[in-house]
Amino acid sequence: MSTAAILVAVASFVLGTLLALLTIPVLVWLERRIAGLIQDRLGPNRTNIGGFRLGGVVQSFADVVKLLLKEEYYPSHIKNGKWLFMFAPIITFVAALLAFMAIPFADTIVIDNESLRVQALPIDFGVFWYLAISSVGVLGVVFGGWLSHNKYSLLGAARAGSMVISYELPLGLSILAFVMTYNSIDFNAMVQWQSGTFFGFLPAWGILVQPLAAIILIVSLFAETNRNPFTVAEGESEIVAGFMTEYTAMKFAMYFMGEYVAMNTASAVIITMIFGGYQIPWVSTEALLANFDIFALSLMVVMPIIVTVLIRWMRKNNTVRPTVSTDGGRDFETKVLTIAMIAMTVLVEAILLYLIFLADSSFANSLSVTLFQIVVFVVKLMMFNMFFILIRWTVPRFRFDQVQRLGWYYLLPLALVNIFITAIVIVGVSS
Amino acid sequence: MNQNIKVTKRHGNTFRDKLYLPAIFDGVKVTFKHLFNNVNNSNAIDTLEYPEELPTDITDRWRGLHRLTHRADDSIACVACFMCATACPSNCIFIEATEREDGHDEKMPKSFFVDTLECVFCGYCVEACPCDAIRMDTGIFSLTGNKREDFVMDKEQLLSHKGAFGKEISCARN
Repeated sequence: MSTAAILVAVASFVLGTLLALLTIPVLVWLERRIAGLIQDRLGPNRTNIGGFRLGGVVQSFADVVKLLLKEEYYPSHIKNGKWLFMFAPIITFVAALLAFMAIPFADTIVIDNESLRVQALPIDFGVFWYLAISSVGVLGVVFGGWLSHNKYSLLGAARAGSMVISYELPLGLSILAFVMTYNSIDFNAMVQWQSGTFFGFLPAWGILVQPLAAIILIVSLFAETNRNPFTVAEGESEIVAGFMTEYTAMKFAMYFMGEYVAMNTASAVIITMIFGGYQIPWVSTEALLANFDIFALSLMVVMPIIVTVLIRWMRKNNTVRPTVSTDGGRDFETKVLTIAMIAMTVLVEAILLYLIFLADSSFANSLSVTLFQIVVFVVKLMMFNMFFILIRWTVPRFRFDQVQRLGWYYLLPLALVNIFITAIVIVGVSS
Repeated sequence: MNQNIKVTKRHGNTFRDKLYLPAIFDGVKVTFKHLFNNVNNSNAIDTLEYPEELPTDITDRWRGLHRLTHRADDSIACVACFMCATACPSNCIFIEATEREDGHDEKMPKSFFVDTLECVFCGYCVEACPCDAIRMDTGIFSLTGNKREDFVMDKEQLLSHKGAFGKEISCARN
């Protein structure tokens, strides 16, 4: 194993861990902020460190501090299985975290004729890994609900169990359709397949090639992440908080964070399988590397435009109304952030200029393409997370028997029909 | 008989409704419109940034913190008749009467306490007062303190509150 291989492996692992863990506070904040904005409120926007609010994202860190400092309350009526009661949230959290690790953040990077995967876990059976690990998460919910010795928790756990039998089959079958289409169980190979074109002009994204399976996949993953409209396991209006009723402080926070990691993981799987992963439409990695100068030049044009739009938006919205007496240091924050963003843009432009005109190293080119793909991946990930949040604040909850009916009467037959049609098409195309 | 029966139309049985997805799409359109407009111009959201921005829509009929009114010569209007304390449903008014020697009436309160932690701000004391001596027109909507005793208003505090809507002195005793 060469030094480059070790470096890439370590870097991808760190990146994967950071992407999974650092998105939690951002997602919690995004959820609360988007919920507010949808309902014509503002959401958390006050907490700051030295005047820097960053739109209020600091609130999440304050929340973490609060949860860490809370009293570790332990319900006295739980006599047996205390360790499992403590362990249950960790199962949910770790399962969601591990499932995220099989997602590729960029295409395989070639250094000295050695192709290295930019994946936290460099495995080529990502789909199996995901299916195996993510289904373990519900065990934490069931254990937690059972060991709480509480009617509401037990009902929540029972509902979580009923959810599993409703969504697991359609989920597996829709993924099977994708496996047949892409002819691979490797997430990276799936993304590479999607970088081509379809009918000559459409990007060959899974949502266009396999629309039915894509919809079933999205619906089942919404169910798997326990997000609305499938939050039956914690239905506040009927069963208090479901399986989390007896959990407090960090034990509760583990469930809470696990939910967001699971959402992040589901988003990553969805964009990897049906929205072209880290690729921008129509352009494959080979095309990017072959026409690096054109790519770099267009990036140099696009980036200042995006940054200008961002700065204009910030200057307009990082203010207060004239009727408010003090602006809480928002002017200063806007100034500092504007300078930081301009400096970053100038730096990137300088690096790109250097790469285009002075350096002629294929290694530097492929490294910058990899970085670009990571950025594309993160942007897509956040967009889909926002879609998850938007759906949560739009749709009311299904009853759990309605979810079962949906899974067994509608999604399962549709997934089977879809596999049948896919098989016919594949046989027809290949013969 | 039959003409009294009204048949309500049942929704949700069409194919489009049973597909769910078009309805969800419609819902997302509505929420996304709100999200987009508010992200675009967050200052247009109709909320109050409370401690910095204060409400401007308090009317003179709104019941705020109590005050005791004055007469034209700045003496207290109250004659310690105990009407307000009798009318009070939460028994939060405590009056001790004393003889009055400034020539206006026979009685005046020696002490007058309103326990605002007990008060339900119903305004019955204002209704009951025959002298227009207690009013709730200060416009004060927030009262803070560090201990319970801070919330028990005494006579001096109640006299020091100013009316927010112009009418300063008592209408019945002046």
